[in-house]
Amino acid sequence: MTIENAAPPREERLKAGIAFCGTCAELRSTLDKEDGGCLNAANRSFSQTHGCQFTLSLGILNSLRNTVVIMHGPIGCGFCSTGNVGTGKAFKRLRDPKAEGLIWLSSNLDETDVIAGGEKKLRETILYADKEFRPETIVVASSCVPALIGDDVDAILDGLQQDTAAELVPIICEGFKTKLMATAYDAVYNGIIKKLTKYRLRDEYFTESEFDKQKRQYQISRTVNVFNVGSMSRADEIEIKRLLQALDLTVNFLPCYSALDDFSNALEASLNVSICGTHDDYYLKYIAEHFHIPYLIDTIPIGRKNTNRWLLKIAENFGVVEEAKVLIKQENAILDRSLEPFRKILKGKRAYISGGEVRIIATAEVVQDLGMEIAGLKGHHIDQFVKPIFESLENSDDIYINIATQHPFEQVNLVRRLKPDVLIIHTGAGNITAKHGLPVLPLYGPSYNYLGYSGTYEIARRLNRIMKNSQFNKNLSKYRSLPYRDEWYEKEPFAYIKK
Amino acid sequence: MSKFVDRPRYGCAMAGALGVLRAIPRAIPIIHASAGCGYNIYNGTNAGSGYLGGGYCGAASTPSSNVVERDIVFGGEERLAEQIQSTLEIMDGDLYVIVTGCMVEMIGDDSVAVAKTFADHNKPVLAVSTPSFKGNSYYGYDILMEALVKQYVISKKQKTERKVNILGIVPGQDVFWKGNLKEIKRVLHLIGIEANTLFGEGETLDDIKNSADAALNIVVSDVYASLTAEAYQQEHHIPYIRTALPVGYLQTAKFIRVIGKHFAIDENKINQVLAKEQDVYFDYIERVADIYNDVDFQRYGVVVADANYAPAISEFISDELGWLPQLTVITDFLTEEQKDLLTKRFDGYESGLKPAVRFDTDTSSVRRYLSEIWEKDSNQKYYDSLGPSVILGSVFEKELSDEFQYPLITLAFPVTNRVVFNRTYAGFNGGLTLVEDVFSSLVAGR
Repeated sequence: MTIENAAPPREERLKAGIAFCGTCAELRSTLDKEDGGCLNAANRSFSQTHGCQFTLSLGILNSLRNTVVIMHGPIGCGFCSTGNVGTGKAFKRLRDPKAEGLIWLSSNLDETDVIAGGEKKLRETILYADKEFRPETIVVASSCVPALIGDDVDAILDGLQQDTAAELVPIICEGFKTKLMATAYDAVYNGIIKKLTKYRLRDEYFTESEFDKQKRQYQISRTVNVFNVGSMSRADEIEIKRLLQALDLTVNFLPCYSALDDFSNALEASLNVSICGTHDDYYLKYIAEHFHIPYLIDTIPIGRKNTNRWLLKIAENFGVVEEAKVLIKQENAILDRSLEPFRKILKGKRAYISGGEVRIIATAEVVQDLGMEIAGLKGHHIDQFVKPIFESLENSDDIYINIATQHPFEQVNLVRRLKPDVLIIHTGAGNITAKHGLPVLPLYGPSYNYLGYSGTYEIARRLNRIMKNSQFNKNLSKYRSLPYRDEWYEKEPFAYIKK
Repeated sequence: MSKFVDRPRYGCAMAGALGVLRAIPRAIPIIHASAGCGYNIYNGTNAGSGYLGGGYCGAASTPSSNVVERDIVFGGEERLAEQIQSTLEIMDGDLYVIVTGCMVEMIGDDSVAVAKTFADHNKPVLAVSTPSFKGNSYYGYDILMEALVKQYVISKKQKTERKVNILGIVPGQDVFWKGNLKEIKRVLHLIGIEANTLFGEGETLDDIKNSADAALNIVVSDVYASLTAEAYQQEHHIPYIRTALPVGYLQTAKFIRVIGKHFAIDENKINQVLAKEQDVYFDYIERVADIYNDVDFQRYGVVVADANYAPAISEFISDELGWLPQLTVITDFLTEEQKDLLTKRFDGYESGLKPAVRFDTDTSSVRRYLSEIWEKDSNQKYYDSLGPSVILGSVFEKELSDEFQYPLITLAFPVTNRVVFNRTYAGFNGGLTLVEDVFSSLVAGR
């Protein structure tokens, strides 16, 4: 696997798609076709705004510690970071109490730069950031304008590296390059591979005794890297850590909330495990090939079945399957019992679940575990990584699934037809979702526990609470209108998908 | 030639344009750009503007052509036409406005020409160029408003004698825009002037459409809304005057006198109005006289804000709170001419004081200026520190506030630590609210 100057778009690399409307059975049969069926090429004649690979990259980049982010582009690129000023710092401090808040700069390309090139501005920005903030790492996220004017960001950074104390990391992530915003993950890893993924030379290794060396190697043989996601919480990490430590494993979390050395330290491990398959394959394949660490991309540890499966798969790699089975049995017994009171209340209620492909299907399993029904599903995009999670679902063939990155106009049409009792939904369209007048549970998030066994209990507990009173949304549905014409609700929800 | 910006306190031109469209009921934006532009802007504006939200059709519901590489290579006009057509079919609005991103402007898509092909639709479809490389949110507000004035506002030969339009308050960028407009409207009403604030409480698209019947435009800003004010003057023959954004009793009284003079309103009438407002105002202020003097509520003041707020707030803390304004940083992109104009706003305080005024767009600069204007602590036995102080700025000043233990009042964009509805800092009521907020921060621990 050679590393390109920029990560390829996922519609090419993974044949991923962003437009589909049909049943789960139809979707699965399409996925089984070699080229991703008609999914890959499909798009819409009406579209609505959603994240691009630049903004989604910031989800990871803004979390890095001792790092300054430079938005290389005109003044508006990265404006979204404004929303992370307070929360970002708080979440960093859950990992490192001394962590600094989020600092970013815009290279502020103007009309002159569009003609003359952005190199000079970028150099000035980097030198100022290095001198003013003294960060370990300066990440340059490069937007549409530098891509169109042909700035060679890699070369500019290489040329400056000897003049800065900070490690300079290029992230080539112009938004127009891909319709799959998830390409962002590859774009970020592409930069991390170029500059941060390297063995660290430790002086003590030269002088260590054979015994110390064996001890160290044993330690490495019991260490697992868990690849986290920006939208999970510290509480999620603590739960994952608890479970893996019960199997006598040492756990590192990356890439989110990492500092520079963490990427080197993580090369001293025996297994790389993805939390969410849709994030990490680009990087984990690279590490496997160049640093010989095997990887596991399977299911996501949301809900009992998927957490069981995830733990067992990890245990297989470390030869602790029997121990894992004991742990799983115990955890399931306690959790199963604890969910009982909620099942009594939630039984038969119908949930509509919308968000990332992996997490919606895994959450659907939790919903079934609670005795609820799945009214419908909606995923941001679709690719092969969703397949193992589908196995956890029961009777899913006839469930309606819509693939759309955000696009709440399809959601409103579907929700009117499917008439769910509760919506479990990704952030970003609350103004629209509220007007269904239904209780809304945010689909995971950085401020509460969602993963592992404790996360399942939390989902149940919160669902139960949220469904007790939806007056806030009810009033909005009564007194404020949705922006879609009546004619739209009469059309089929997939009317604007073009093959 | 511009320079980089450390943590910009504004979005791009499209952000300003979308801010205006967010403020106008039933206006539907159609973004012609890459998929991320609209969502990026929503996330900046929503949180930064005290949780403004997506409203009727914003956030992830905003129509957007989501152009990709193929469109950039072959041109995006065809995709735009398709998106306009489908938007008209699906989205229920009264005005459709295409705003454009950098990439489609760089490849030369003619969005105006594409919009014109929809001229016979029963609702107007306009297009405005809003690339980020041309300017920030303030510019975006201005260029969008200018387009509305030129293409949407219907001409009115007959002007209404005591009717004005209010310009220069930028929705989404001025976090308190709606409350401010409401109070300015109320204040002008007191002296018999009807103010059209274009997108204030209860105002609709028709108020914008019919705004050419005003006799005067009042730009409550020294620097914003130039294109709009000029467009009204040229297209609709409405002259304009610029005033400062009035905050508190003294500034608002001055504002009323200036406007009153312009309309030759009887001075007795103005005096009567002011006497009444003064009584209401100081009846409240009097309440905190006790605690103010019991525990010494005087502070040094550090103000970090845009060209509307910075001079107004500095003067307010000097001449109404009786504080010592030490440093004021104005954070906009400004010409030398505009800087000179703004600098004059800091002359002639009743207190006789004058803060150090700096023009700087970088967040990290504020700290540097603090050490410039005040003698450093060199470990001498007695040190006359810059304390107690209060920072009146944006949430970006939080680090500074933590470092020096100066309480922070967030009033300039971005304000992510408050939810803001109809609260105002403008006018008489704005002064009262500001006193409430500032002194609340001083008693919060009690």
